[in-house]
Amino acid sequence: MLKGIITLLVFQFLGECIAILFSLIVPGAVIGMILMLLFLIIRKKSFKSLDTAVFLHLRYLPMILIPAAMGVITQFDIISKEFWAILISLVFGTIIALAFSAKFMDVLTNLRQKL
Amino acid sequence: MMNTHALFQYIISTPLTWLILTLLSFKVGIIIYEKMNKNSFFQPIIIAYVLIIGLIFMSNTKYEDYFESVKIIHFFLGPATVALALPLYNNLKYIKSLFVPIMITLFAAGTFSIVVSLYLLWIFDAKLSTILSMATKSVTAPIAIITSEQIGAIPSLAVGFVLITGIIGALFGNMIFKIMKIQHETSKGFALGLISHAIGTARAIEISEKAAAFSALAMGLSGIVIAIILPIVIVYFN
Repeated sequence: MLKGIITLLVFQFLGECIAILFSLIVPGAVIGMILMLLFLIIRKKSFKSLDTAVFLHLRYLPMILIPAAMGVITQFDIISKEFWAILISLVFGTIIALAFSAKFMDVLTNLRQKL
Repeated sequence: MMNTHALFQYIISTPLTWLILTLLSFKVGIIIYEKMNKNSFFQPIIIAYVLIIGLIFMSNTKYEDYFESVKIIHFFLGPATVALALPLYNNLKYIKSLFVPIMITLFAAGTFSIVVSLYLLWIFDAKLSTILSMATKSVTAPIAIITSEQIGAIPSLAVGFVLITGIIGALFGNMIFKIMKIQHETSKGFALGLISHAIGTARAIEISEKAAAFSALAMGLSGIVIAIILPIVIVYFN
């Protein structure tokens, strides 16, 4: 699994380096993700220790979010002041977006099948 | 004589205390989530959230001190983001079957989704930092955190919005698909991944394997596209 972990770290490192070198505003880790995607496409397959390392990271992904997510305790002020705006935006925004996306994709899929 | 004062000093100063409590809270979250038959409302992270907030308030701990203790966990955000490339790669083969519908939906529906929620906040006079934090609500959480840092939003608010968006999508998805008379499983999966990221993908697995693949595909592609485009758009408007 060490090889897999090194692979992830190296791609993140390369991504961050590219972001700094070219003063990109895209997050370095996302560039690292794109680089690893290209690496997998070129290599045409993954390897065992990378699979294991990825599985481990993604399995505990929600836990990795906790330190950043807990920052919400410093935001109670904003949340209580803008509670209704946030709630309406989240609930209606999500429902409308989900309905629109599914219908849009459905119509396009039907169109393509008719062509 | 036992040195209780020194022991107390150690307990409140070592990062181990909050590390153990954080991992433990998440473990309790997993146990409850599984007991509740994986109901979307009882996401392990939500339970961990509530437990840790309680502990932080009871112990009167400052967020900066808490973060300092658990920043080793935060470190893994980077490699975890890179790791997302593998499930995206594994599902990339499906992109060919419906390339044009996928690409148009990704950009059109992705933009539409962001505009709708930002507009709703804007008409209710929300602050700019809140509006910016909402922009990443449909992106998978690790990318949402690093992107929101990049665009001057509040990462912790952004993660909160991401989680709630995921849960709303998982709860109402099937009902919405029925009302909208959605025919293809692939459309349902793609919409779930596009709007409700990983939590939506967990729900798509219950529809079918193909729906889950399309959901994972949508989640990966939109994560990349939004992480690239959003900072550029924000910088342009500033």
